[in-house]
Amino acid sequence: MSLAAEAPARAIPWWLKRHETLLAIILVIALAGLGAANERFLTVDNLLNQGRLMTEIGLIALPMTFVIITGGIDLSVGAVVGLCAIMLGYSWKNFGFPLPVAIVFALAVGGVAGFVNGLVITRIKVPPLIMTIATLALYRGLAEGISQAHSVRGYPEWFYVLGQGDLFGVPTQLIVLMILMLVAGVALDRTTFGRTLYAIGANETAARFSALSVDRVKLVVYTLSGLASGLAAIVLVSRVTTTRMDMGMGYELDVIAAVVLGGTSIFGGSGTIWGTAIGLAMIQLLKNGLALTGVKGDATIVVIGVALILSVLIASSLQRRRD
Amino acid sequence: MNARLLTSTAATLVALAFAASGANAAGKWDGADDLPTSPLACDASGAAAPEAAKPYDGGQPTNPPDKAGKEITLVDVPKLIGIGYFNATSKGMQDAAKELGNVKVTTDGPTEAKIDEQIKFIDNYITRGVDGILFAANDPVAIAPVLKKALSKGIHVVGYDANSTPDAREWFVNQAQFNGIGKAMMDSMAKEIGEDGSFAIVTSTFTTPNQARWIAEMQAYAAKCHPKMNWLETVEAQEDNNLSFNQATTLINKYGDKLKGLFGMTSVATPASAEAVTKAGLCGKVAVVGLATPNAMKPYVNAGCVKSVVLWNPVDLGYAATYVMRAVVDGKLKPGATSVEAGKLGKLNVVNGSEILLGPPFIYNKSNVDQFDF
Repeated sequence: MSLAAEAPARAIPWWLKRHETLLAIILVIALAGLGAANERFLTVDNLLNQGRLMTEIGLIALPMTFVIITGGIDLSVGAVVGLCAIMLGYSWKNFGFPLPVAIVFALAVGGVAGFVNGLVITRIKVPPLIMTIATLALYRGLAEGISQAHSVRGYPEWFYVLGQGDLFGVPTQLIVLMILMLVAGVALDRTTFGRTLYAIGANETAARFSALSVDRVKLVVYTLSGLASGLAAIVLVSRVTTTRMDMGMGYELDVIAAVVLGGTSIFGGSGTIWGTAIGLAMIQLLKNGLALTGVKGDATIVVIGVALILSVLIASSLQRRRD
Repeated sequence: MNARLLTSTAATLVALAFAASGANAAGKWDGADDLPTSPLACDASGAAAPEAAKPYDGGQPTNPPDKAGKEITLVDVPKLIGIGYFNATSKGMQDAAKELGNVKVTTDGPTEAKIDEQIKFIDNYITRGVDGILFAANDPVAIAPVLKKALSKGIHVVGYDANSTPDAREWFVNQAQFNGIGKAMMDSMAKEIGEDGSFAIVTSTFTTPNQARWIAEMQAYAAKCHPKMNWLETVEAQEDNNLSFNQATTLINKYGDKLKGLFGMTSVATPASAEAVTKAGLCGKVAVVGLATPNAMKPYVNAGCVKSVVLWNPVDLGYAATYVMRAVVDGKLKPGATSVEAGKLGKLNVVNGSEILLGPPFIYNKSNVDQFDF
């Protein structure tokens, strides 16, 4: 983060060279282009609806940004979504929990799942990649085993408010996402906790010698990751009115794509929540805009892949200029 | 080999089997469920037994634009794209669109059978604006809200292959009813092993809903139309390839010459049974009839070891779905109708309130199996 020091040397203002700014400019251009190509794209209705659809990924992307900033990764998030969705339905239907208790229980399961990841990663020093690949299989297996591949349906009407309802004309879950995004952004930018994340990612050994509680902070971010996955599961179940054990399959890649596209370095030490928010919106709106313009599903994936590669190229060339 | 010992063993077995079949005549076959059955007529016409008329239970779009006779744009969102089965339904839709001339249909959907991806696709097409949506649901309940949204925007919705809750779509094209499968299975077996042959069944588990329903319908139809055929045993093999092979081999060894036919109730059990018969060198002596996909059965069908594979024709399924949609838009298929014209397939009947039956199942054999790729 030595941007400010360079500013006098060049005519371009420092904020223009930030990855987020570049990305935001690209986003605006893409939106304008897609909006011109299809009059149904830039409508309030469509944009709010896209917000509804991207909330689950967005919720998980917030703690994932933290995790990746510390130089870690959490591949088990999709499996945790599946496990929490099943625990929600199962505890409600089979244990006879009242639904509010089942919701809290499912969140707790998510928290514990993330805590287990963090515990093994910090105490036994298993690399996060290995640990979360293992728990990806483990949690998905648990979801399968507990549910016996049966779906749970027939939730009460009030539960659908979260996933299908509106508040002041805005999808309920989008408001939840916005609030949490603000909290996460402030936590990262303005608190000791946030500074500690960057310190760990930049140089973990130095962070330890600076008497930062590296292990405790890591434990917290992995637990947050599990909690957010649990929350995403509840939103998802509410949106699609049913619980299935295959829910959240493949989410880890969508989440990591949004975070990395948003400029968070996969090696840790840099990144922002605001970048993640732009990355998230960019992927969702590109997919939607292309679909509305008549591009088929398989071609859309190709475009997303190209966008990711370009973003990485831009990021690394910026990095070189800074160095 | 001691011939006398063999004969006496066989005699004992036959006696035992008779005793067993006597006991079974009253009871149900293993693996059948207890729900009421409705066997079809014995003749080849496959005329459906008159159904108790169920009132229309589908949903209706809100103020759809009147496009009767005009060009319409449809989108088909199957469970997933890029697999042979849905390529075949998609081909049927294109065939129908070409014949009709005033229908444009595109197939688009997720590359994995994931319900939330499928919902996003449908949602996008609602925003983009189409006249009708054809779908094969990854989950009957989860897909309902987005389909209801389509209906509320005046878009026509017709399902095929995999249904949603009835009120979330107008019609569903049902590829095969349980009694239709039951009839096709028993008729094929009777043709191959004769009216007094003995057979065994390899199923997934005794309580798997679809399989249990099919077995119950097979039993009811056999009692009505092939009363002399002799059921020996039903064995469970999960949906496990290896276990299915072992169970089929065990049946062959256990019943010897008495066993004339094997039913495979799953797309895993049928090829595994065919493999077991092939490995035992009993091709042509033990018939295999079952539900399976053509690709899995091609080697056995082409080798002459299996003569009939029962399933439906996915090309016809997609074709029928498109004709049904056209009829709905043209106002020719309204709630309460009892049949609909579907081009080369002729008149298709309405069943279960708001479902359209594709017709009797399709039998894949040596003459046609190579035309299908799924």
